[in-house]
Amino acid sequence: MEPVLTRYIREPNSYTLDFFLKHDGYNGLKAALGMEPNAVIDLVKASGLRGRGGAGFPTGLKWQFVLKDTPLPKYICCNADESEPGTFKDHVLMERNPHLLFEGCLIGCRAIGAKVAYIYIRGEFFHVQKVLEAELAKAYAQGYVGKNIMGTGFDCDIVIHRGAGAYEAGEETALIESLEGKRAQPRIKPPFPAVSGLYNCPTAVNNVETLCNLPSILLNGAEWFTSLGPEKNGGPKLFCVSGHVKKPGTYEASMSTTLHELIYGHAGGIRDGHQLKAIIPGGSSVPILLPHELEIPASFDAVAQVGSMLGSAGIIVMDETTCMVWAARNLLYFYKHESCGKCTPCREGGDWLHRILTKIENGEGEMRDIDLLTSIGSNIAGKTLCAFGDAAATPALTTVKHFRPEFEAHVREGRCTVPADWRAARTPVAH
Amino acid sequence: MDTVTLTIDGREVTVEKGKTVLQAAIDNGVQIPYYCYHPGLGIDGSCRVCIVKIEKLPKLQTSCSTPVAEGMVVSTQTPEVVEARASVFEFLLINHPLDCPVCDKGGECPLQDFSYSFGPNESRMEFPRRVFDGEGVRADVDFGPTLMLNRNRCILCTRCVRFMREIDTDPQINIVDRGYGSEIATFQEEGVHSLLSGNLMDVCPVGAITTRDYRFKSRPWDNPDAVDTICTLCEKGCNTTAWLKAKPEWAKGARLIRITPRFNPDVNDYWMCDIGRFDYRWIEGDNRLQKPLLRSEAGVLEPTDWRNVVGKVADRVTAAGGPSALGFLVSGHASLEELALIGRLGGTLGLREEGVAVGWRRREKPQAPGAKFKIPPVDAPNLMGAADMGFPVRPTSSGDADLAAFRGDVEAGRITVLYVFDPGPEGTLGDVSWIVEARQSGRLQHLIVQGVLMTPLAAAADIVLPGAAWVEKDAAYVNEQGRLQGAARAIAPPGEAMEDWQILVNVGLALGAPLTYTSSQEVRAEIAAGLGDNPRYAGLAELAFARPTAAGNWLKTSNPSERWKWDFMFQDLPPVKFVGKPGATSWMNGIPLTEVE
Repeated sequence: MEPVLTRYIREPNSYTLDFFLKHDGYNGLKAALGMEPNAVIDLVKASGLRGRGGAGFPTGLKWQFVLKDTPLPKYICCNADESEPGTFKDHVLMERNPHLLFEGCLIGCRAIGAKVAYIYIRGEFFHVQKVLEAELAKAYAQGYVGKNIMGTGFDCDIVIHRGAGAYEAGEETALIESLEGKRAQPRIKPPFPAVSGLYNCPTAVNNVETLCNLPSILLNGAEWFTSLGPEKNGGPKLFCVSGHVKKPGTYEASMSTTLHELIYGHAGGIRDGHQLKAIIPGGSSVPILLPHELEIPASFDAVAQVGSMLGSAGIIVMDETTCMVWAARNLLYFYKHESCGKCTPCREGGDWLHRILTKIENGEGEMRDIDLLTSIGSNIAGKTLCAFGDAAATPALTTVKHFRPEFEAHVREGRCTVPADWRAARTPVAH
Repeated sequence: MDTVTLTIDGREVTVEKGKTVLQAAIDNGVQIPYYCYHPGLGIDGSCRVCIVKIEKLPKLQTSCSTPVAEGMVVSTQTPEVVEARASVFEFLLINHPLDCPVCDKGGECPLQDFSYSFGPNESRMEFPRRVFDGEGVRADVDFGPTLMLNRNRCILCTRCVRFMREIDTDPQINIVDRGYGSEIATFQEEGVHSLLSGNLMDVCPVGAITTRDYRFKSRPWDNPDAVDTICTLCEKGCNTTAWLKAKPEWAKGARLIRITPRFNPDVNDYWMCDIGRFDYRWIEGDNRLQKPLLRSEAGVLEPTDWRNVVGKVADRVTAAGGPSALGFLVSGHASLEELALIGRLGGTLGLREEGVAVGWRRREKPQAPGAKFKIPPVDAPNLMGAADMGFPVRPTSSGDADLAAFRGDVEAGRITVLYVFDPGPEGTLGDVSWIVEARQSGRLQHLIVQGVLMTPLAAAADIVLPGAAWVEKDAAYVNEQGRLQGAARAIAPPGEAMEDWQILVNVGLALGAPLTYTSSQEVRAEIAAGLGDNPRYAGLAELAFARPTAAGNWLKTSNPSERWKWDFMFQDLPPVKFVGKPGATSWMNGIPLTEVE
């Protein structure tokens, strides 16, 4: 598949407005401004574009749910708080193609009738923010954002807001809270943001990659978009392949590409002299897939069918040198550190899991600890306010499920039995 | 009223539309535990213990945040729910220090009670517990002038955060740090500075926030009696409960051990201010008047007996030289009964209209401008009643009592006998230094004080009549809204002190007034008859007064809407356990005994 989103990212000036304008820049917006807002929503619905943030919810449908019949202002919030371990796609788009995101934001605003779009950018993306701000200023100066855009009478502002560094701010309601100046903690749903979001106004929260897909849909049509991938999984998709591969990186491919192809084709395969042990296909919070499960299309539906999730399409590849106890502990360290602490199971359970995993990794584990991990994990999952709880429980649940003998060996031998590389062999971080 | 019918645990219940599943369950006696939910605060949905199964929804739902819907089928006791709930309890308890034996909340702690009923029998946590400020008593840190905070016990329900944000509207408390390290804190550890701070102890479902006033003072099982009454320290008239400690009369210490707010949606909601909550120690303090006092010829106030002192009052008044020389200064703390009797007395004596004045104190209470619970400035519970009874309630433009003319009469010697009725705490009559001065300079010949405390005013008096504080007598008051309410007799007046209506009847009889009342109830009946056309007093004759009630029966004798409080304080829930032995219940059913083999 010819890259769509990342076609020009290797050109030295791909991020500039001049470059963007020479390559169909803001033409999608122009098309959208020539259409009725509802027609834009219908077009996006017809394209079957699914949210690229993780859940894969149809974007057109999300927009349709945005309350129309209200005197309140409406908002687009672009979720650029990309913090999922193993995920680095939005980062590339924003750094190398910021105007594509602006154009997507404006198309979204046009569709739902918003006058302002907020780009909530991850706190650590300082350098990306600089690029965005400089380019946004240019877009304002040349009339692509702001008042009377391209002389059409359409007014729309874009505001870039940098977060303070919390993974939880990527949850859509926590993002809204953070944007309002509060602690990044999720809200109870319902009401969903489409009804009551930012400042209690109807809001659509869309991922960067989702919005970046809009200009090409507007230009090339829904049919073109659906034709790019399997049924209900149309369009180009960015995959972040990381871990023990020869060429880790962000690759744009159709969702009909198999996971195997992404790892062995795009990413060059497992590093020499090693074999694949497991992958996490959708960012750190989804269940593990084993080597024999990779001959499936890397689509939302196909990955879900084998019991995992495509999520943010951050494919973490692990070879045989990876100790699964270590991997689980590593991820749980992240989740216990990033839990917002609002609701009980995640706040208390995440740390508990981490402590047990540390204990096992340190060779002090007991056999009952392994069952305890499963029990605590399933006690967290499904009982929390937001999906963070499920995400935090998954690494523990999935590693025990697939690699129980490894845990047992840890307990029995009192040490790691995996021919682990330097990281796994390192003294564990104290909790 | 739009209603919705739903099924909870197979039982069909009908509730008001807009309520949540949890409220529907509480209203109908279905027991669901909760921590972050509080009926007076916004919904948070964070503690997760109220999860229930709702048919057609894939996941368990928090009942506190789910509105009822027609035909909804809720189950709270299926194995899935029971197990999930128990797991949340396990999470809540893994870091909670099990120091119930030394915790002030122990015995009336929702965490304790709900855990017994719904939690697992044992924890699988084997790691050291999370510690914030230190272990044991070192965990108790200052939380402002009225409170102490123990972060180790906190379960982060954020009720205190929401109380300050929503009710006090000065959001001094928030959570700092995140996740596992989250802790309740104030900016730079300044603590809570608010006149509503005591409510934070009420809303705290664990022993994390305690009041300096009550901590370590008593245990719930040591104060088995509770009396529903009202607060009379200002014109709001908050509904309260006075808690009595079990104690032989001769033992040292106070019986009145604390005052807590009682739900009344029309007056004080779930709250009360710190003044009403904490300003009660004087009632059983050393400064109370316990015996009638009479100034001897040597000029010293000496104890005497009632018969003598009442005669002396009559002598002084009679010797004053006619009604024009007599003055009554009545505190805004005087109840309807007392006002009626003073009125009868004045009528008998032929008192001039200018001979009576009503005094009170006005203090602006520092509060956030948007506070949802406002403490009114006038520290008098019955000004509305006094005005209705025909007493001269004359405020100046600033709202203080206008006593200028009355003071002029006293200072010019036109009033030679001044009878001051001051049953409130010290200072609530407003400035009285001018009376003391007038008496000391001799311009005022005789000063009679009927009061409760040895104030400078009482110390300057010739005759002191020891009366009763508001928790020591059945008395009716009309608050700022014009609402008639009764303060009940929770404890007896100290020593020989008497209920004020009795003193006034005795004085009246000595002066020849035809008073035949044998109870305050009779006085109320007469007032009711006299004010019959005023709907405000329609209930006066039958006004009921609570009596000390065994705390166990407290709910049953109390207003049914008190249900929420019972849920707070005296959990008596049937055990719904997923493992282990049955029989663990709260202390209300007695301590479950295990048979010894």
